[in-house]
Amino acid sequence: MKNYVRIELQPLGEVFQVERGTPLQDVLFEHGVEFPCGGKGRCKGCRVRVLSGRISLNARQEEVLSSREIQDGWRLACAARAEEDLVLEIAQWETNILTDESRFSFTPRAGLGIAVDVGTTTLVAQLVDLTSGQVRAVQSALNPQARFGGDIMTRVQHALTDDGREELRRIIHHEIGRLIALLLHAPECPAQPLSVITLAGNTVMHHLFCGLDVRPLSAYPFESESLGAQRFSAKDMGWSVPGDPTVCFLPCIGGFVGSDILAGILATSLHDSETVVGLVDLGTNGEIVIGNRDKMICASTAAGPAFEGARIEMGMRAATGAIAEVHLENNGWKCHVLGNAPARGLCGSGLVDAAAAGLELGIIQPSGRLNGDGTPWQLMPPVALTQKDIRELQLAKGAIAAGFQILKEQWADEAQELGRLYLSGAFGNYINRGSARRIGLLDFPLEQIVPAGNTSLLGAKLALFRDPDELDFRPLLGRIEHLSLSVHLRFQEVFAESMLFPEQ
Amino acid sequence: MPDLSKLSEAILKGDVKTAVEITKEALAAKVDPQEILDKYMIPAMDEVGRKFECNELFVPELLLTARVMKSALELVRPLLAASGAEPAGRVVIGTVKGDLHDIGKNLVASMLEGGGFEVTDLGVDVSPEKFVESAKSKNANLIAMSALLTTTMPSMKSVIAELNKQGVRGQVKVIIGGAPVTQQYADEIGADGYSDNANGAVGLARTLIKK
Repeated sequence: MKNYVRIELQPLGEVFQVERGTPLQDVLFEHGVEFPCGGKGRCKGCRVRVLSGRISLNARQEEVLSSREIQDGWRLACAARAEEDLVLEIAQWETNILTDESRFSFTPRAGLGIAVDVGTTTLVAQLVDLTSGQVRAVQSALNPQARFGGDIMTRVQHALTDDGREELRRIIHHEIGRLIALLLHAPECPAQPLSVITLAGNTVMHHLFCGLDVRPLSAYPFESESLGAQRFSAKDMGWSVPGDPTVCFLPCIGGFVGSDILAGILATSLHDSETVVGLVDLGTNGEIVIGNRDKMICASTAAGPAFEGARIEMGMRAATGAIAEVHLENNGWKCHVLGNAPARGLCGSGLVDAAAAGLELGIIQPSGRLNGDGTPWQLMPPVALTQKDIRELQLAKGAIAAGFQILKEQWADEAQELGRLYLSGAFGNYINRGSARRIGLLDFPLEQIVPAGNTSLLGAKLALFRDPDELDFRPLLGRIEHLSLSVHLRFQEVFAESMLFPEQ
Repeated sequence: MPDLSKLSEAILKGDVKTAVEITKEALAAKVDPQEILDKYMIPAMDEVGRKFECNELFVPELLLTARVMKSALELVRPLLAASGAEPAGRVVIGTVKGDLHDIGKNLVASMLEGGGFEVTDLGVDVSPEKFVESAKSKNANLIAMSALLTTTMPSMKSVIAELNKQGVRGQVKVIIGGAPVTQQYADEIGADGYSDNANGAVGLARTLIKK
């Protein structure tokens, strides 16, 4: 028996040898695979699919993975060893992308549908069997427009240059077309016609995809007149797909609040709720909706990129080596680092945790001031939290909290308490709710805060089951009011107040 | 004779009540208003600015300080004007067209006021024509512009173009700031100065006006 086994990683195409019996966690870690829960078998982030060879099952795997996943060959890398030659497909992507696996109710329709979440940073597409509601395949990629600027405003700026708009439109069509082709060529794709493709994204993504003029989105009052649902034929897009599916980019709500939030409303059934509920997407642009089945109000607020680890001295995305959690322990604190690696930075959830722990320990004052002479707080050398980092966090959380407060004030005449709060997006899944509350980011009882995953994708998927004539969502949009915070008289004042941390 | 060092303290602490009381007492005791401004208020504001620059103080505290400063200034300024004292300079400030962000602009405005400048705040979404008209009518020697969006920054260039068009570029210095703005951008559009923080803007204004 040889002492080395051969490992092939797909879709990277990397091939290498490791000593027989090596934990897969050690092997894959070196190849950039992340272990979101730290290799504790609590999540499925590190799952791999065995394309050739065998990884034995154990209790931990059976607990976390569904029987369908196990049957399809999925295993947890953190709970396995390399005992023989393996060809593995890695479920993880270059960046954290949430694909939705939640259950939903639907009315079956004929054929196949594809739902696409057109994110500013990432794209996710799901192939759905409309008769069974089953997701047959998923593809994702980075948004190719990102090389012209990470945030929506730099994207808008590029679109205003000579050929910018056309270039941005062309590359997004091409990339989504590629994902669609991959889905349709997947072995799991049933032999049925593709009848509908729905896309959801923020207002800028909507306009750039649809080739609309983004000039209205570049300056005050930030109101475009072309917010409606946009239909195309696959042929116009340059996509070679069989049949003639309806291609529909779902309508935007107002300002920067796009169809991703409309999709979020569908996904959380906010529009059918008897009680007043909230939905918040904690991104660079924080979008907030509160409402019930009678009425909804929404707004967007520029939180900046702090939650994504940007503009933070040692900030990084949630990848191996990132401090993702900070816990209180014996009058001190303890950091949890992703991937059981030495700490090399701080991601958004770690930043929020660190601030919450610092406030509890009296290391950070409610004003945001670090105790002492302003030297950085050594969280876990070499990773430290600087005074400026805390200021960036105060700006980000102040913007979200202020947006919430203004919306709640607007709602106040109804004299109804806000019940549940849904958090959408990647950050909403990873953030510690207690810490978010401690720093005054989300002023809600913990049990009422519900991480809801990629609600943009789920909403786009739900739209696949609708009558194609109803994709303009007119009756629903008529119940949503968009509030422009930038012109709201009290916003600046509330924003400044909201930058402070709660005393306790 | 009131203890004017308490006025500096009150400004630093953001204590409006004490600041107003002491200023009133001092003026009643015939203390020279110019001396109150130069020896107590401006140094206190400089200290606040320094602390803000090194992140020791933050926006909420600075806004509070600005409020204190404003209340005290309202008492002192009419007397200064009556005595014919010249301000450190006359500034027209605003957030450029298409942009509504005003926290940063407000901070700079109050820091400049606290620094002894006469400040005309044009608010937000200010057109190039309005900047130039106000600069002319106020006989300003400085225009300060803020933009928080990459898409509204180009409006700064339009203001400079408008100054040139009306043949008054030589009479007024132009300083710019805001998150997406850089020194490089200032050089590119021919602005006289750039600062990445409110405190720096005061120093910049002083240097430019002396020239």
